[in-house]
Amino acid sequence: METPPPEDDDNLLAGEYVLGALDLAERATVEARLRSDTGLAAKVMAWENRLSDLNESFVPAALPDLMPKIEARLFPQAPTSATGPRGWWADLRLWGGVAVASIALVAYLAFTPPKPELTATLSIDQSTLQYTAVITSGRLTITRVAGEVPDAAHTRELWIIVGNDPPVSLGVIPASGETISLPGAAAGAMLAVTLEPPGGSPTGKPTGPIIAKGALAKA
Amino acid sequence: MLQLLFWLSLDAALADTHAMSDDPIADLIQSVAAQDRAAFRQLYTEAGAKLMGVMVRMLGTRAEAEDALQEVFTRVWLRAGRYDATKGRGMTWLIALSRNHAIDRIRARPNHVSDDLALEAAADPAPRAETRLMAQGEARRINKCFDTLEPDRAQALRGAYLDGHSYSDLAARFDVPLNTMRTWLRRSLLKLRECMEA
Repeated sequence: METPPPEDDDNLLAGEYVLGALDLAERATVEARLRSDTGLAAKVMAWENRLSDLNESFVPAALPDLMPKIEARLFPQAPTSATGPRGWWADLRLWGGVAVASIALVAYLAFTPPKPELTATLSIDQSTLQYTAVITSGRLTITRVAGEVPDAAHTRELWIIVGNDPPVSLGVIPASGETISLPGAAAGAMLAVTLEPPGGSPTGKPTGPIIAKGALAKA
Repeated sequence: MLQLLFWLSLDAALADTHAMSDDPIADLIQSVAAQDRAAFRQLYTEAGAKLMGVMVRMLGTRAEAEDALQEVFTRVWLRAGRYDATKGRGMTWLIALSRNHAIDRIRARPNHVSDDLALEAAADPAPRAETRLMAQGEARRINKCFDTLEPDRAQALRGAYLDGHSYSDLAARFDVPLNTMRTWLRRSLLKLRECMEA
């Protein structure tokens, strides 16, 4: 008979995290570790799967149509009709073949030009802190190029502000910088970094001061 | 030109693979990761009501639930690339994302313990939806495993998972010291895991 493995504190911590009973500071500690600790992330996922039958107790509720608001935030130049990129691809697929590929290429270039690469330099006058952000093929990479890493009591959170819309969180920035998927960005959008409690803003809106900002421009 | 053809065939191949999957929500999340806006809308239509249910239950008001749901779908678009269909079902991932956001909102409320207790007092007389569902005889393994726990501990565990109660909320609610509650739930988690893996 096998002896059970000694109980692993991380496994319990992952269970407590998924259960949701931890307080804000403890949750933030776990979330900070999850960004780099794949072992802990696997344990969290195992608990998510283990407890997922409890999800049956969530009873579906009437769904408001929030899609226009969500799309307005994410896709500032969203087409007003339902014809998205998918429609184009589907059409292209139907045409198919070498004979029409050249027409397709022209159509592709004419109607959905590839997004130019964008860059931004984020800083403010009162501080030496500086980040650069680069967007390539729908992925944003943010790198700290000057200034200090945050102290243990704070984290830095990256936001994107499109026009007059409220800021949308792109997540907490680890000390080493990060690459995130950001398909909807366009030149003119503002990126900002705020100082937030560990784990990031608890409200989904910035709660601390802006410590660096800059507008996206074509590279 | 060759590159374009390559992408066309790749796109078609991906679409075919997705059609084979037994998890349509997972397929949609993967299409969203490939920046497919039509899939994003379809995901909202297919998963939105369930996630709205999570938010209403955990946050208590439709107004806050709507606000939170908007945030959740924004995150779904931005983070879909991190979803790994080999590690879990699509709906599990979406609900985890939703619960995490709801819990962060609840924890950020000032005096959330007393607010919560007031809500609970108002809500308690009617049987909870969860209790009703279970009364209907769901034979899920986790429910059998819940039956192996002492009733108050099972109730505390559900309170944490389904209603976002923290250890300190639960300690106040069950009138036990914080550390006792922590010990209860940790032991219950281990017992659950043992039962489910048996």
